[in-house]
Amino acid sequence: MAEGALEGIRVVDIGGTIATGYCGKLFADYGAEVINLEPADGFATRHLGPFLADSSSALHAYLNTGKKSVVPVSTSDAEHLVAGAALVLDGDVPHPLAEHCSGVLCSIRWYGEGPYGTFSGTDAQMFAFNGMLRSIGVPEGPPIIPTGYQAQVVGGVTAYIASLTEVLGRELGNASGPTVIETSIFEAMLCFTDVGVVSSFNSGIVVPRLGINRYPPTYPLGVFPCRDGWLGVTVLTPTQWHAFCALLGLDDLAHIDLFQTSVGRLQAVDMIEPMFCEKLLEHAAEDLFYRGQAARIPLARVPTMEELFGVDQFLARHAFAEARLPGGSVLTVPTTPFRLFATPPHFGGDVASLGEHTAEFL
Amino acid sequence: MAALDGIRIIDLSMGWAGPLATRHLADMGADVIKIESCERFDWWRSWEATPQWIEDDGAEKSTAFNTVNRNKRNVTLDLEDPEGRELLLRLVETANAVVENYSGDVLPRLGLGYETFRHRREDIILLSMPAFGSTGPWAKFRAYGSTVEQASGLPHLNGDDRYPPTMLHVAYGDAVGGLNGAAALLTALRHQARTGEGQFVDLSQVEAMFPLEIHGILHTAASGANPPRTGNVVQHCAPHGVYPCLGEDQWLLVQVGNEDQWQALQQRVGHELAGFGDLADRLQRCEALDEAVSNWTSRQRAEDAMRELQQAGVPAAATVQGSQLLDDPHLRARGFWQWRDRAVVGRQPNPSAPWRIDGHRAAIHHPAPTLGEHNTEVLSEILGLDAEELERLTQSGVIGNRPRMPGTR
Repeated sequence: MAEGALEGIRVVDIGGTIATGYCGKLFADYGAEVINLEPADGFATRHLGPFLADSSSALHAYLNTGKKSVVPVSTSDAEHLVAGAALVLDGDVPHPLAEHCSGVLCSIRWYGEGPYGTFSGTDAQMFAFNGMLRSIGVPEGPPIIPTGYQAQVVGGVTAYIASLTEVLGRELGNASGPTVIETSIFEAMLCFTDVGVVSSFNSGIVVPRLGINRYPPTYPLGVFPCRDGWLGVTVLTPTQWHAFCALLGLDDLAHIDLFQTSVGRLQAVDMIEPMFCEKLLEHAAEDLFYRGQAARIPLARVPTMEELFGVDQFLARHAFAEARLPGGSVLTVPTTPFRLFATPPHFGGDVASLGEHTAEFL
Repeated sequence: MAALDGIRIIDLSMGWAGPLATRHLADMGADVIKIESCERFDWWRSWEATPQWIEDDGAEKSTAFNTVNRNKRNVTLDLEDPEGRELLLRLVETANAVVENYSGDVLPRLGLGYETFRHRREDIILLSMPAFGSTGPWAKFRAYGSTVEQASGLPHLNGDDRYPPTMLHVAYGDAVGGLNGAAALLTALRHQARTGEGQFVDLSQVEAMFPLEIHGILHTAASGANPPRTGNVVQHCAPHGVYPCLGEDQWLLVQVGNEDQWQALQQRVGHELAGFGDLADRLQRCEALDEAVSNWTSRQRAEDAMRELQQAGVPAAATVQGSQLLDDPHLRARGFWQWRDRAVVGRQPNPSAPWRIDGHRAAIHHPAPTLGEHNTEVLSEILGLDAEELERLTQSGVIGNRPRMPGTR
């Protein structure tokens, strides 16, 4: 097997959060040696669901394939391990060991230093603060909270970009000495809305919450029921609108002047939507998806989680692999979304038991 | 000196995902040369160009384009002209990497691709970032950022069963693809720096969404069933919701995740929450609980209530409108928005890279370039073209600094 692209880099995670775990996971997938320096009761991620039948955390397994787990016996052992790492990952609350880092220290914090620095952060708060939460849901409210750990994953990728840049900068001779990177998950989540913020500044327009899947100016847009599943629709250009009408046998709508722009179609939503929704229900989502894509309309089959594992495209690309847990359980997990052809990532792998590698390092 | 000084990227990408990927590298010191042409300009300048739009300098007024292309240089080359393609390949000879996010058939139609680039520079990296990845039966399928979100299945994890699977949109998949594009490029650059080897790098923007929906994927992988869609109700927190506050469309997010937080909330809210017990009791009576919390929040200003609850250790946040973020006290204190003068549109806020290094922001040295702004600088300094050659290329339409309607060369 080819050497990993990040071979030779040692990363020590002292944060034990989902964000540091995901950042470290990307390093481990590409061949860096990633060591979880865990407390005696393990990282917090070991205690987060969903859980497998043997009570082990599926989330921890996903985040930690190919990493090592060390539970330090003494403070000096831990300090020594941290001091020898090219990169140390820390969480929201600064870890006492962080000051022993002699390379790149990357703290992934909810807000970072500043007026909100002491706030108790959550993933949903990041959507509240970046402006997205307010726009999701029915007009009368309440807004709908996005589920899961999305902000922490975004923070983890962002920290990967910042910290690998700094590690690479040292190898290129552009930097030296200890460096502290502070990644703010709040700021990382502004990547979704920064364009909208500047647009509002220039136009003065504030878009209200218009309804589920109703995001102007694009229309039609949304997830619609078909005969046997859900179809994702995004129609933006006049050409796509004409092709969408032809696909559904709604040629009468195709060339109406008002409907040549997204904004015009949105004005007539109450007339258009019942017409195409009725047509969608006559067809299988899969069939419309393939025919639509052949007609250059960006349609999507919207798979449930159960369906996701069986999608042809994802099977062909090995988008899922196995994580092997210490107790013998095997879990299906996503593989790295970016693929370096000459130095491919690890697909899945073993998950270390708590302290499994302590003797190797201490 | 910036970390990526000496790295050069030829950026053929357009829209949001690709340009966001290269923006991160440009912020950290890489020389990113963005290639457009006068007829095939970045579609984020407009996908509905008209002669009037050209006359009105519309190409330089796009907020979307201007926000993701700062710190880059801009060169126009007509890649449908053999001379334009040759100039591109000469630039590739001087670069570490090329980035593209065209539809799958565009580069082959131009006679370009990884092998062509590698023929001119053996250690070149090519990052290709199509929606579904560059292999598999859907490799050439089309998508916007919204399509990427739909195709990932994420909408099945948001909202509740009264409504269709619920999108978060803002072209969600685009920014996620952009972040992963930057990550991919840096990984390949590190291998190149260490070994002198380039390679082809493939990013599937849809697969880049999977980590964001990992809670749903793992629920199904572990249990064999789809996760239920329960709206704002979760089984580990109560209260857990978005509650109305004083004023029109003002809301407060409250998520009580443990008994300490519950007691702190009870203390602030008072008698309205007195009758509720432990988590199990609160979950069982969550409608009544939400009503009680709403009674309290509806008498509060969202921002005041957020500060009061956060001070007491209760996770809470006011829901803000995008436009308010320019005045957000936290971002202001951290110097997040960097204001720069930009040709045609004047003074504009620019979002910083979302990290600080030793307490400092990555500087925005140059706002988004105008079309062809660096034609002379790049083509003369890097490729050694003289004034006469540049004039000839301008006259023949291979380069230029004004958009043209297609087919008008």
